Amino acid sequence: MNLAYAADPRLSRFDPLERIFFYDDFDEGIRGWSELIGNYEHSLDSMLPEYSDMRPPMLSNLTMWDTGAAGSMEGTYALKLASRARTGSLATSIKRQTFRKRGQIQLECYFTFKPEASELRLSLNDVRAFGVLFDLQDGMNPEYRWMPHLRYLNAQDSEMVNRWQMKGETRAFHNIGDSGETVSHFHLGSENWEFVDAPVQTLAYNEIATKMNWHYLRVNVDLAERRFLGFQCNDLVYAGEPLKHISIPAMPNLNCMLNTAFWVETNRDKRAFLYLDSVLLSGEF
Amino acid sequence: MALRRSYTAVVERNALWQGDFATEPYEAAWASEAIFFVRALDVTPTTLPYGTVVSGVAQVQISADGIHWVNEGSSFNLPIEQNAVAFCRVKHFGGWLRLRGAMYEDTSITVLVSLALKE
Repeated sequence: MNLAYAADPRLSRFDPLERIFFYDDFDEGIRGWSELIGNYEHSLDSMLPEYSDMRPPMLSNLTMWDTGAAGSMEGTYALKLASRARTGSLATSIKRQTFRKRGQIQLECYFTFKPEASELRLSLNDVRAFGVLFDLQDGMNPEYRWMPHLRYLNAQDSEMVNRWQMKGETRAFHNIGDSGETVSHFHLGSENWEFVDAPVQTLAYNEIATKMNWHYLRVNVDLAERRFLGFQCNDLVYAGEPLKHISIPAMPNLNCMLNTAFWVETNRDKRAFLYLDSVLLSGEF
Repeated sequence: MALRRSYTAVVERNALWQGDFATEPYEAAWASEAIFFVRALDVTPTTLPYGTVVSGVAQVQISADGIHWVNEGSSFNLPIEQNAVAFCRVKHFGGWLRLRGAMYEDTSITVLVSLALKE
């Protein structure tokens, strides 16, 4: 490990590649993470309905009704994504960047997830899923836009699943409005998810909805080869065959795009929350 | 000089309110002041018997836990014209904020609600 990183207690819990592109500690503020929204023309009504309400992120100090505030993993505030209290509701937050070299990139974060503590019961399967995705496009003379998605399916209906998934296909593109200049496609639907060849991973839930344990996640992508290389969550390391990703022809105004998004989806008519203590993106550039 | 941090969350966008309504809980413990802006993307108001044109009334609510809510004491009338904006300032609100309220009979409003927060 790079000794400069090891000497900094905030960074020594990460394993960054040679250059840190961004390091977002949410004690410092919202740091470029905004609500995801669909494309529209003339009216918000022209948006694909799935994109109409993806909820604004917020800064949370993890205050619980029974024990007060826990704060974040390191400090007071974490980025919080909160779905609506409606089965299948998604909250999605995105950070939009561009890259300057098609090398390897690596995302690391510390996260936790919980249902809203609105009932005095275990609530283990109330969060359906959370995930992270990249939305990428080649730079000069682009051939492809491509989108690695990694999802932890916690539960589906009443069944616990506790497995990681990837996605190889998006939905059909739709024309938005009447100018012919705007299109949209929804890529976070429930279809086309495939299990990663990795074992069941039961993440510590810790018995009641007001206790959070922080987890580590690392995701690796190769921009040059357009490969979704693998990931690590706590002590589960996946370094097998490259994972499937969505791939579509390059689009007119997205060159060098390097977007990162997180989302959480509820499994019941109850809010689901994803908290991020900190997010670090590093790379070979 | 350290600049004060600020953030605006769009807590409702293109949402139709009829009857009772409430915005989603929003955590803002870091902020010391807030303004709720409500812009009418579309509105169908009504005229009361004594001639006043109204649509609805919103109250600011606060919460210790995001689950149990209580009126903060501030309330305001919602817009009665398309693209008109109503607002309400709030200070000293603790950890959570939301709007709750009711529309008058036979009225509706499609809103964009922005919550402007400042350290």
